[in-house]
Amino acid sequence: MSKKLLAAAVTTAIGAMVASQALAQVKPETLVKQRQAAMTLQAKYLGPIGGMLKGNIPYNADTVALNATFLENLSRMPWDGFVPSTQGEKSKAKPEVFKDPAKFRQAAEQLEQATVKLGAAARAKDEAGVKASFGPVAKACGGCHDNFREK
Amino acid sequence: MRSSETPVKVWDAPVRLFHWTLVLLVVFMYVTAQLKGDWMTWHMRSGYAILALVFFRILWGFAGSSTARFSSFLARPAACLRFAQRLLKREPAAFASHNPLGGWMVVALLAALLVQAGTGLFANDDIATEGPLAGLVSKEMSDRLSTIHYWNFNGLLLLVGLHVAAVLYHWGLLKENLIGAMFTGVKRLPADAAAGGVAARFASPWLALALLAVAALAVYLIVIRPF
Repeated sequence: MSKKLLAAAVTTAIGAMVASQALAQVKPETLVKQRQAAMTLQAKYLGPIGGMLKGNIPYNADTVALNATFLENLSRMPWDGFVPSTQGEKSKAKPEVFKDPAKFRQAAEQLEQATVKLGAAARAKDEAGVKASFGPVAKACGGCHDNFREK
Repeated sequence: MRSSETPVKVWDAPVRLFHWTLVLLVVFMYVTAQLKGDWMTWHMRSGYAILALVFFRILWGFAGSSTARFSSFLARPAACLRFAQRLLKREPAAFASHNPLGGWMVVALLAALLVQAGTGLFANDDIATEGPLAGLVSKEMSDRLSTIHYWNFNGLLLLVGLHVAAVLYHWGLLKENLIGAMFTGVKRLPADAAAGGVAARFASPWLALALLAVAALAVYLIVIRPF
């Protein structure tokens, strides 16, 4: 084993230990806040794109590109906050999130993939592409809310 | 048709058009709410149409044809009770307008639709759709009204179920085809009831059109708020 590889392995191992320890130390209420913050921000950056596509506000390709790029990242942020230790916290997460994590993960991935497409179209300043990829993003949000969020 | 029955025109075109347009729009509302995404734009548009229709029906209930007026079909509790007893004994009792229980069902359905459309104006879906008046209230209030919008639909569905079950009961067990009458406007009434002063007075279709325009204008002013 080369020195470099060994160093990398050690670093990764320490990193993983630190990460898992750090994760174990995060308080459940903080994780719920993390989820809700990520959700709030997604709505915040998705809303104006929707408003522009509906013609309620003038279309601005730069704003759309920025918002869609934020969304692309934000859509990956809530999920590691959905851990069983948060089940006792006050939140709108349905028990199904923890009962059927595979289905929940699938719903999350649907959103992640949809925002990647939206982000690419938005950065390419492709308004028709933005229009076409916006629906699937909104649909992924709503589909997951239906199954995994209390009314 | 029993020999002693006479076909009588009871429902004017505005009532019938109102009824079936409403049926189509409510189905469309449910479908678009399920489809979400881009369909929410259409969900909102047809919500405005429903609100205008309900406003129109309320106006028509005061100024329309005699059979369409609330005063002709809203019965006292005692009359409702008597009618319910006859229903359970499967004794037909024909009415030119809505029967005593059907009349109150009209009010219940209109009220449920008003709540549904009214809360929808202030609702948000936490994604990218919000009602045209959502900006007037806090997010918390909008969320609360969205929850009512969600649950009230179940209430509406329950009322629709009861309504459909009742007309099927009339059709199957009492041999009264109320559904057909809502299409043709013609009910078959016992000869004595048909002759005995129940002849409907029909209001002008132009008045209906004018009231519909008033209702649509009211919805426009609520949604667009040009002032």
